[in-house]
Amino acid sequence: MTLDFSWLFDPLYQTWLLRGVGTTILLSLLGMVLMFVIGIAGAALLHLKVRFLQSPVTIFVELFRNTPPLVQLFFLYFMLSEIGLTLTDPVTGGRIPLFTGFTCVVLSLGLYNGAIAVEIIRSGLLAVPAQTVEGARSLGYSRLQTFRHVELPIGLRMSIPPMTSNIVSLIKTSSQAVLVAVADIMYGATQIMLETFRNLEVMLLIWIIYLVIASIAVLVVRRIAAAFRIPGYGS
Amino acid sequence: MTHHRHSQQSAPLIEIRDVHKSFGPVTVLRGVSLSVRDGGVVCIIGPSGSGKSTILRCINGLMSIDRGTIRVGPFAVETLKSDKALVPLRHQVAMVFQQYNLFPHRTVLQNLTMAPVQVLGENPAAVRERALALLAKVRLTGKQDAYPGELSGGQQQRVAIARALAMQPKVILFDEVTAALDPEMVSEVLNVIRDLAREGMTCVLVTHEMRFAQEVADEVFFTDRGVIVEHGPPGTLFQNPTDPRLKAFLEKVL
Repeated sequence: MTLDFSWLFDPLYQTWLLRGVGTTILLSLLGMVLMFVIGIAGAALLHLKVRFLQSPVTIFVELFRNTPPLVQLFFLYFMLSEIGLTLTDPVTGGRIPLFTGFTCVVLSLGLYNGAIAVEIIRSGLLAVPAQTVEGARSLGYSRLQTFRHVELPIGLRMSIPPMTSNIVSLIKTSSQAVLVAVADIMYGATQIMLETFRNLEVMLLIWIIYLVIASIAVLVVRRIAAAFRIPGYGS
Repeated sequence: MTHHRHSQQSAPLIEIRDVHKSFGPVTVLRGVSLSVRDGGVVCIIGPSGSGKSTILRCINGLMSIDRGTIRVGPFAVETLKSDKALVPLRHQVAMVFQQYNLFPHRTVLQNLTMAPVQVLGENPAAVRERALALLAKVRLTGKQDAYPGELSGGQQQRVAIARALAMQPKVILFDEVTAALDPEMVSEVLNVIRDLAREGMTCVLVTHEMRFAQEVADEVFFTDRGVIVEHGPPGTLFQNPTDPRLKAFLEKVL
């Protein structure tokens, strides 16, 4: 068996790959923003025991955590295109669909990994010592102020290790974008395979690219964790 | 003489009457009454589980009561329900805990300045200046940028006392503040409390340090099974106890 990587020198394939990497990174970053918004908001509602909203959050978490992300993506994609919301392009005057494949992938990543993030952040909040909270309460901090100034800053730090896995999971799950025709790195790879039939070589490259992206993400998170480390606390 | 001797005749600053408190099926307080005058130093002693710490937590509204009244200065504590209503009370009643309860993610200086700025809305520059003076008072000058986790237990407890003082309270509640400390660190914390008591700060201490209670308190309350069994000036209470439960307790701890 010989490996043939000559296709890598084709400028067209290089463009597809680079654009694909860019799209994968953009999908992941936007998905992460949504994941954090959902994760923090959901964990706050559960932790502060907000009446009437606790059950909806719990149902949301169970629904999105316990079903395959691919099913969720297809459901979102077909449901939202069925609703058929459109925007009017200000330049051409044409109708463009509001929920493109790209939007659906970002939403799907944010919802799936966001549901997991809710539980991760909630467990971080539960790890904040009751004494620390009592200290804040004795100084006149309200429930909400205690959450904002004491529980959340400590709880988020405690949730960094499991959140790192969730971020890596989100980056990997973004490869589903290819299935709703979004030109991410998997999409580029699929196109190159169709033209060159060098399936093994292309997949080897894709494997390495995902490894590099995820490793960089882990390194960045480690830098953030180090910057926010609490001296003398925990390990 | 010290300030608190002068104000001996004034109306009590804290007045607790017939307070009952249960946690589910467990009754912790069964009709506790006690009063503390402005500038007074009161110690509450008694066996574990007798309700000492619960009394303190009821005074600053950390725990609600089932029956009875608690008055602290102008506040009827049992009527204060919302967080907002409790702020003025907690401004006047500060608390120091057995486990220090500091904010681990903030520096020593920030631990002192956070609540006055974020809760009381005071000017940050003025609070900072006051905080630095308080750190000097508890002999921790130079530690302002350290984090609580980098300090010894005795140092952390002195930060906690300074944090309480930064609120400029009328009363400080001390909940077994030396119980978690190594023996050699106990005296450095007690020295700070002794200074405060001498300066006329109203102090309510739950403590197992009987010799310290004897030295600083004007009045000592002995609790057992949710009631105050006996109280009086430390000389009388420690030297001539009348209740058999107090006698038995003192035999064990002295």
